[in-house]
Amino acid sequence: MINALRWLVFAIAALAMNFPILVTLVTSFKSARELSTNPGLWVQAPTLDNYLAVFQVSDRLNIFLYLLNSITVALIGTTLAVALALPAAYAIARGRLGERTLLPFIVNLRAVPLIIFAIPLYMMFQWLALLDTRLGLGLILSIVNLPLALVILVNAIRDLPGELDEAALMDGANRRQILLRVIAPVCRPAIVTSLIFGFITAWNEFLFGLMLTTSKAVPITVGASFFFAASGGGVQWGVASAVMVVGALPPVLLGLIMYRQISGSMTAGAVKG
Amino acid sequence: MNTQGAHSSEFRLLAMPLVLFLLVFLGFPAIVNLIYSVSDVSFETLRQPRITGLSNFAAVWNDRAFWQASWFSFRFGALTALLECALGLVLAIFLSPLIERRSWLMAILMLPLMVAPALVGLMYRLVLHEFAGPVPYYLWAWFGTSVSFLGPTSAFWTLIVVETLQWTPFALLLFYMAYRAIPTEIVEASAMDGARRWHLLWYVELPLMAPTIVVALLIRFIDGFRVFDNVYVLTGSGPGGSTASLSIYIYEAFFKQGAIGKAVAASVILFAVSFAVLYGLNFIASRRKGALR
Amino acid sequence: MGKISLRKAGKQYGTVEIIRDLDLEIADGEFVVIVGPSGCGKSTLLRMIAGLEATTSGQIVIDGHDVTAALPVERKLAMVFQSYALYPHMTVRQNMGFGLKLAKLSVGAIRAKVDAAADTLKLTPLLDRYPKELSGGQRQRVAIGRAIVREPVGFLFDEPLSNLDAALRVDMRLEIAKLHRSLGATMIYVTHDQVEAMTLADRIVVLKDGRVMQQGTPHELYENPANLFVAQFIGSPKMNILPCKRNGDGQLDLSGQGLLEMPLRSDAAPVQLGARPEHLSLVAPENGHCRGTVEAREYLGGTTSVFVRNPELGLINVSAPADIGFGIGETVGIHIDNVRLSLFDAAGAAVIASP
Ligand SMILES: Nc1ncnc2c1ncn2[C@@H]1O[C@H](COP(=O)(O)OP(=O)(O)OP(=O)(O)O)[C@@H](O)[C@H]1O
Ligand SMILES: [Mg+2]
Repeated sequence: MINALRWLVFAIAALAMNFPILVTLVTSFKSARELSTNPGLWVQAPTLDNYLAVFQVSDRLNIFLYLLNSITVALIGTTLAVALALPAAYAIARGRLGERTLLPFIVNLRAVPLIIFAIPLYMMFQWLALLDTRLGLGLILSIVNLPLALVILVNAIRDLPGELDEAALMDGANRRQILLRVIAPVCRPAIVTSLIFGFITAWNEFLFGLMLTTSKAVPITVGASFFFAASGGGVQWGVASAVMVVGALPPVLLGLIMYRQISGSMTAGAVKG
Repeated sequence: MNTQGAHSSEFRLLAMPLVLFLLVFLGFPAIVNLIYSVSDVSFETLRQPRITGLSNFAAVWNDRAFWQASWFSFRFGALTALLECALGLVLAIFLSPLIERRSWLMAILMLPLMVAPALVGLMYRLVLHEFAGPVPYYLWAWFGTSVSFLGPTSAFWTLIVVETLQWTPFALLLFYMAYRAIPTEIVEASAMDGARRWHLLWYVELPLMAPTIVVALLIRFIDGFRVFDNVYVLTGSGPGGSTASLSIYIYEAFFKQGAIGKAVAASVILFAVSFAVLYGLNFIASRRKGALR
Repeated sequence: MGKISLRKAGKQYGTVEIIRDLDLEIADGEFVVIVGPSGCGKSTLLRMIAGLEATTSGQIVIDGHDVTAALPVERKLAMVFQSYALYPHMTVRQNMGFGLKLAKLSVGAIRAKVDAAADTLKLTPLLDRYPKELSGGQRQRVAIGRAIVREPVGFLFDEPLSNLDAALRVDMRLEIAKLHRSLGATMIYVTHDQVEAMTLADRIVVLKDGRVMQQGTPHELYENPANLFVAQFIGSPKMNILPCKRNGDGQLDLSGQGLLEMPLRSDAAPVQLGARPEHLSLVAPENGHCRGTVEAREYLGGTTSVFVRNPELGLINVSAPADIGFGIGETVGIHIDNVRLSLFDAAGAAVIASP
């Protein structure tokens, strides 16, 4: 009885929270004609026309470019963040360097409204000719990713026994060698987790994409909104929906993969705690 | 050469790239921010800012829109944090017996977290659209009436619901993990003591989850306070700036009005307040930790 | 070569002194065991010698070279950790060869050395496994193998057997002893375990609060403890400590519970008497040096520990033959072997018994 109630609550919660995703998915399969008569949650005559339209390149809209931009900036923003965070995390966790300065500062970055850096970065990028480039946007996204990557990696390294480092010291390794040959391989799960988290965050970022790009380096989150400012005759909702489905798919798929890791660490935590 | 010294110089070298990177991409902009905030500057005179003192700050201070945006951000952050955590807590505890056995249920609930807030905002343009959107459609069909969701009177509450529905899963996930982490011995011990389900929840489980609840409230408030993406694509600054968050206020001052000085001065204020509050919170947290030890 | 000297070596954490002015000379090829209560600084001392912990005062000299500030690898020592600290992502072969690889030895040379060490430790069939695929004892062997391949001048062990079960511990103990004989290298070994200390050591160093309380062969420490602390720390079960006083006739007065003939130097003023359980025996009440009632018995197979309560002397542990007839509540006499006992003065220092 109570279980039936639980299922009911779950169904309502899942429906409510996923409602926009569901509606978008459904709408992306509706023809323009059907949309004008049937805005409901059911598709009468499913069609792929909207997706074909989305992948049509015009001089104003080029989804391939947006996707390529998003992939590139997300990869830059993720790998750079992890590459910078890993050695720093090692210095913080083992050398106890910056535990009270660098670490809290970067953690606080996670909580600061990003807009406060956006304006000077815009000007700086103008001088450096990094405006509307993938490299520029990728660099900034790595700042966005730094806090989480650093926290994940510091915690992972702290969880390793210090004797591992000491054994390597006795074996004649210096700190850099210990990091590359012992710590990094052992921390691979944490590194993968921060890469995936980072990729999702970077892919989904909007503010910097909006401010720092105009045409060449526009990411999909910004590019998707171009499909709404349609050319006369109002928004083509079917096409717009298809664009959003395409734009949301990569992080959602990645998230479902990462979900396994999260539930894995959940059970690990349950066993430990 | 002292071993300890040798180690710390090796460590310093390892932390160096990150520090340099931050200095270039945050330190330098921070300085630019400070200089421009006390200068008379426009897009034409970017390279030759003229120092004019605190007039930019005065302009921000006297701008009603700035205070309106601050109030919006604060209210938005507080309300969404409370709603998300309340909903998340109830769902986490109530659904935990289901999720324990079928972890894929959590995957479904977490799905909204993976979608860009900007895209979710755009999706709601469709969901709430008066002709193409299913919500007004069903409201008309069932109740014969509908609401102008993004109109002046309801825009704020619509945004609250949009934000809450997307981010409740975050609180839910955090609470679910904290709830599962409660040692079964404690629960069993209090059951042996004759505690009722309700008492168990109130006197044992919730207090044990309290730290997580505080953290979740804090994170959600911060993210609500600095909201930009979904609000920007849904309503922009809204009718009469009624839905402008501080982030949107600064963005529009800069890009729409070209009021660089004002935008930068507002950034500096936000920067100072944010860091002051955050470091204050860190300080309190570390003091409490010390007290526990 | 593996002569290790500590000269007034000290270690401070902030204002807390963990090791103070410690002098220790370890000869080449010697097996030194460091024992002491938990927290006394055994691990710290070992890690100072290894170079993992900075020495804050004094010197550490290995084979005539001052290595106080040298890197761990420059000291040519190898360490075996309590948790083994094997690299989880490397096979046994890679684990053992890691140090050699860092030292840029050729692949062939590494292979030869690892194979030789694996042969000694019977690890050859396990060379391609990962640590998680090994049993505790096998991991321990790999940790030792990793230490051997670098041909260090000395080995440092920090409670290496404490994670193993009792039977395996005996095997590994014998194996380490064998290894010491065949390699002839200096070994410094930290342990909690009495038996390990007694059986392995050429010399035992007893540490307390960062100071050496006594050092000597196991026999010396057992028979002639220099002070109350060592007397109670070495030996299992623990030595009985009984209050006593010297009377006018040169006899020892056991708090009015009995008298003991004891030739003593005229200026000696013992206040406590130490007698190991095996140096006491149970006799009829009227024949003993003192008496008491049996409070508990612990049958240990070979012997029985009988706990006798005396109102003034406290609980006395007597190691009796396994089938001893006295039951709980019975009054018994205790005979004290006055040749094997130790005497301590008010400061806890040993009093020389015979002049
Ligand atoms: N990093 C540190 N900072 C301050 N004090 C420390 C530190 N490391 C160890 N100590 C202190 O130094 C003392 C000696 O520690 P050590 O680990 O050497 O003891 P031990 O004799 O090996 O004990 P055990 O038998 O339990 O292993 C302890 O009192 C410990 O609290
Ligand atoms: Mg120790």
